[in-house]
Amino acid sequence: MNIAPRYLGRGSWLARRDPRVLVLVSVLFIMAAIQVWDGRIVAALLAVAILYYRSAQIPFRDVRRNWLAALTLVTLVVVLNTLLTGSRLEGVVVHPFFSIPLLGTVVSAESLSYAATQWMRYVGMVTVGFPVAFCVAPSDFGATFARLGVPEKFAIGVDLTFRFLPSLGADYQQTIDAQRIRGYDPMAGRGGPIVRLRRMLPILTPLTVNAIAGAEDTIDAMDLRAFGTGKRTWLRHLRFERADWAIVLFFLGLAVLMTVAGFVSTSSHLWTPQLLIDLAGG
Amino acid sequence: MSSMTMSRSNLWEVSSRTIVYAAIGAALYGVLGLFDFLLPGTGNVSIRPAFGIVTFFGYAFGPIVGLFSGLVGNAITDQLHGYGFTTYWNWSLANGLAGLIAGLAPLYLASWMSGAISRRAIAGAIAGAVGAVIGFLFVFSDIWVGGQSFDAVVTGSYVPVVVADVITAIIVTPILVYAWEPVKEQLGR
Repeated sequence: MNIAPRYLGRGSWLARRDPRVLVLVSVLFIMAAIQVWDGRIVAALLAVAILYYRSAQIPFRDVRRNWLAALTLVTLVVVLNTLLTGSRLEGVVVHPFFSIPLLGTVVSAESLSYAATQWMRYVGMVTVGFPVAFCVAPSDFGATFARLGVPEKFAIGVDLTFRFLPSLGADYQQTIDAQRIRGYDPMAGRGGPIVRLRRMLPILTPLTVNAIAGAEDTIDAMDLRAFGTGKRTWLRHLRFERADWAIVLFFLGLAVLMTVAGFVSTSSHLWTPQLLIDLAGG
Repeated sequence: MSSMTMSRSNLWEVSSRTIVYAAIGAALYGVLGLFDFLLPGTGNVSIRPAFGIVTFFGYAFGPIVGLFSGLVGNAITDQLHGYGFTTYWNWSLANGLAGLIAGLAPLYLASWMSGAISRRAIAGAIAGAVGAVIGFLFVFSDIWVGGQSFDAVVTGSYVPVVVADVITAIIVTPILVYAWEPVKEQLGR
């Protein structure tokens, strides 16, 4: 089983940026997006996110399934929100199309606008999130967090986590193989979720206990190198270039602009296209 | 740091052992978090056997390890899924809080954490369930982050996730306690 993170954007313009840029952009974009409910502005933000994503040059064939899963999840969340509650439309005059039988939820021009805006917001956030997953070398995350001001021990923990991933993936496969030799196959047979959960236990238990017991070597190695007694330096040096500053300042500007707009304009209020209101007989 | 015998005073100690256990918990959760089974009757909620790792690591090694295992482990799963760790940051934090609260068991289950292994295993199950119920309250932040309604978060996210994770925690955590105790004795922890 290959569970190693995939560095698909290698060599692209975005992957050549300081990895802190990708993390900061994602955070700033989310800060900007969650303040806006005007669908026209959210559409513009989505367009910015798509342009940003394209600079990562992530081959689509390699992430097709990831996109399908992400869009399915986002759509489910939005549909559920709309069907269950008709969205959050307190204090808004609605132009109803029809009511959903049994649930009694009113589907209106406003609830559809809300759903569409919410969907674009989520997709925008996922779009800027993809480069974080595929355009940062996994070995850079520790240094990235450390240079972002995260406590040093947390950053080292993140670095260690990425180092453990491949070996634990191999151990997982080895444990499954060992159990199969004994005639046990966790993937075989049918049953409900609890039966399947119990079937995973003969894999999960030895894998976890072996991993903890095997950690002693790492702990000893860290103690022998006097871990935690002084400030740690990182082999990987990160440096902001002019382009990095430009990107971060652009997205920072976007976040500030959306914050200010929320106070001085109607950007934080739902916008419903006149066409939908007319269709609803408004 | 000795597992399952932590006193109130050393709950927040961060040593090399804390860092390594936390990283292992996160990596295990990240790897095994990719495997889940859809809960019948829900559209997007699944039982993840790996959630038991978060509550076990919190319970056995303390709140810092639990927080890190849940937070970083869920972020790693999101990374492997391709969303990036920042997209659903509030869900990662909710997982981390579940591990943290399970790790605070010495504060609310002190009398159960000594004595027979069966008592410690039951305490692990309770700590895991308490961690899931309280920790996942943070998903209500989806009301602000995603613009979801309160009803949608309750019925579509919180209740199904807590049900699934409580089931997982009360099955997996005690089993891992039973498996880890003899090994711990051998290692002299």
